[in-house]
Amino acid sequence: MRLVANLLDRARPLFDEGGRLNFFKPVFDAGDAFFFSPATATAVAPHARDPLDVKRYMTTVIIALVPATLASIYFFGLRMIPVFIVSYAAGGAVEVLFATVRKEEVNEGFLVTGLIFPLVLPPALPLWMVAVGCAFGVLIGKELFGGTGRNLFNAALVGRVFLGLAYPKAMSGAWVEPGTGLLGRATELSVDAVASATPLALAKAGEFTATTDLFFGSVLGSAGETSALAIILGGVFLVGVGVASWRTTVSFLGSFAVLSLVLHGGDVGTVGWHMLAGGVLFGAFFMATDPVTSPMTSAGKWIYGIVIGVATALIRNLTGYVEGVTFAILLGNIFAPVLDETFIAASVRRLREQKA
Amino acid sequence: MKLRGGYNVHLAGRPTNEVRDLPAPERLYLPLRSRRFTFSEIDVTDGQKVACGDEIAKDPGNFNVPLLAPYAGTVRLDALEGHVVLEDLDPAAGCSVREHDESAERSRYDPAVSEWKRRMLLELGAWQFFADAHTGTPLDPSGTPGAILVTTVHLDPHVARGDVLLRGRLDEFARGLEHLQSFLEYQPIYVAMSDIRTDFASEVREKLRGHAFVNLVAVPRRYPYGHPVALARHLGLTPSLENPVWALTTAGVLAVDRVLTTGTPAVERIVAVGGPAIDAPTHVRTVVGQPIHDLIGGHVTEKPVRVVNGGIMTGGTVGPEQKGLCAESTGLTVLVESTTRPFLGWIRPGWGSRSYSKTFASEVRPAFPEKINTALRGELRPCISCGQCVDVCPAGIMPNVIHKYIYAHDIESTIDTRVDLCFECGLCSYICPSKIDLRQQFIDAKKEIQAELEALLEEVEE
Ligand code: SF4
Ligand code: SF4
Repeated sequence: MRLVANLLDRARPLFDEGGRLNFFKPVFDAGDAFFFSPATATAVAPHARDPLDVKRYMTTVIIALVPATLASIYFFGLRMIPVFIVSYAAGGAVEVLFATVRKEEVNEGFLVTGLIFPLVLPPALPLWMVAVGCAFGVLIGKELFGGTGRNLFNAALVGRVFLGLAYPKAMSGAWVEPGTGLLGRATELSVDAVASATPLALAKAGEFTATTDLFFGSVLGSAGETSALAIILGGVFLVGVGVASWRTTVSFLGSFAVLSLVLHGGDVGTVGWHMLAGGVLFGAFFMATDPVTSPMTSAGKWIYGIVIGVATALIRNLTGYVEGVTFAILLGNIFAPVLDETFIAASVRRLREQKA
Repeated sequence: MKLRGGYNVHLAGRPTNEVRDLPAPERLYLPLRSRRFTFSEIDVTDGQKVACGDEIAKDPGNFNVPLLAPYAGTVRLDALEGHVVLEDLDPAAGCSVREHDESAERSRYDPAVSEWKRRMLLELGAWQFFADAHTGTPLDPSGTPGAILVTTVHLDPHVARGDVLLRGRLDEFARGLEHLQSFLEYQPIYVAMSDIRTDFASEVREKLRGHAFVNLVAVPRRYPYGHPVALARHLGLTPSLENPVWALTTAGVLAVDRVLTTGTPAVERIVAVGGPAIDAPTHVRTVVGQPIHDLIGGHVTEKPVRVVNGGIMTGGTVGPEQKGLCAESTGLTVLVESTTRPFLGWIRPGWGSRSYSKTFASEVRPAFPEKINTALRGELRPCISCGQCVDVCPAGIMPNVIHKYIYAHDIESTIDTRVDLCFECGLCSYICPSKIDLRQQFIDAKKEIQAELEALLEEVEE
């Protein structure tokens, strides 16, 4: 701790006004604040504050993603580690660049985006594509809107859609056969990409993967989306600590289940299978619940979840696409401000009655 | 309206039940300003000898509410900027006694008597304890109340506690209520009490149950449920310019009794002195003008500190220019100023940090007092729409939405989303992870709206 403090103190003059590296001040500040929270004091009442800050808020999401991250390494090999590093580097570079240009502080949002992004990609995607996708997502999905807190769309999903449109072949052919056994593929550095079909694609052809495989995650799929168990572990934690809104998760999963039940003629088994397959759980716990891109109002969150759940079920069952979560959530993102406006207007009407 | 939202900050340094007496100081420094009052009209001359209870100055902007001399002494006008200094104090001299009412008839409604009572309350320093329940502003002493609302629940950490003020003074409190009753023809008196079950609480309830005119209101012990605005809305009392709801605190009722039953001025104060930076937090019996240094000196554990006048949620900072206790103070909360930078604070489990959110390991511990300082504990960020402020707001408005409108300079929408309902409890600012000073923004917005309204009115008049 002392050591870090000394190093930082020694480097500080370089970045200060007039220092040689003044241009990179936001980078230095971000690193500085990473190790030591600022001592900034309150300027007005309340004179003391709650310990929760945005850094910790985002860290909590990362902690909740740990099981899914470990599962991805277990099933798809150590190659995931360079993938994470590349994703962070690309997303971080864009964030830092914009912070520097805008002369603002580096925002914590990319800490989550950088980790979530590889988890929703096919595991054997070339590293450069990961980098391009993440940079695109952060740039177009976030920075152009003014950074974390002002973005309309979930940045990771924007990146994923971009890759899907730009490199459709790679995106559908970079799957990896999941590892099995005690260590899975967690000892293997390189893996072979295969172009065989994911459970959802097979299901279109009437072939259903075993539900237990879906539950534990030993199936083909996006790196972090295959293990329902790992997602539920982290997701329940995230909802439990209140960082992800249970309203969104429940209404998403609930509406998806109900509509699927109707579409599958009341076949509970098939619906359960669909809940575990693909990105539904990951989307419901980690993507749709992104507070920035979901509605602010509680009522809005309910409808938002329903929009996404319904859209997912419809896309999966009635279109040529095998998976619908990504588009459904982006659709939900579009609706979010509209929903907010509606429900804020409703509460304004209610509040108008109140005298004082 | 149902009580909603709210949150208790468990700040270390809670004052004990004890009330400590301070030795009389050498000089008193009476500030000419307090939160609501500006005592701009000075009624004494330099070097004049005054007795206890003599009027030193008054606030012409607020119905001539006076600033009284707490002890006999000699006035120094130019000794200290912003203060009247009183020296050569003679605390033993006692206060002058006016004609008063010890009869058992004190609670009977009688407009003629009430005229005399109003004058006494104003002149002997009890009127400053009366406020409009909805706006918190001083009241016209000649007005007629729509109802009287007494709150004994003071939950802002740490102001003088209602139970401490009441201990041993229940009779006085009851008599004060009887006097207040005499202002009312048929309107009710509400007395808000904490819903806790302690022997003392039952004793108070028992005592007040004998007074048919008192409506006891049980209030959960959660900040800011004891706040007059929260209570007035909870009870469905409507704001009114003609017949405002009169709000008083425990100290106010005791002041009423003192003035009307004994005819002596209400110059004594019982204030809390506490906070994480105080080694022996307690209540202190004192007077206006008591040097701040005497109140906290010798008890500060660590420096530098910030002294807050009142509680941490809404109190103002006592600046270096203020030397004495102001007329409206209910307590001093002393916090260590933030100077150190926590190492990797955001990733620690947080066993020792208490949070409104559930993201700290301390969540599994029962509530415990926390030694927090004045740190913002994070960096200012754009709103991330976490929704915590909406959950915590006792006024039932949406602080995050209002913040967005203020940020966009959209005054009309700010009004529509009812920024006026905010009663400045400070909880939204306290819990915001993006560290946005929501409360301050709302105060400023309300001022701006008020100014625009006035400008508009002027235009219409022309
Ligand atoms: S608490 Fe702060 S960050 Fe959260 S919604 Fe309210 S204003 Fe936004
Ligand atoms: S908006 Fe006003 S009443 Fe609501 S929590 Fe914030 S300060 Fe308190």
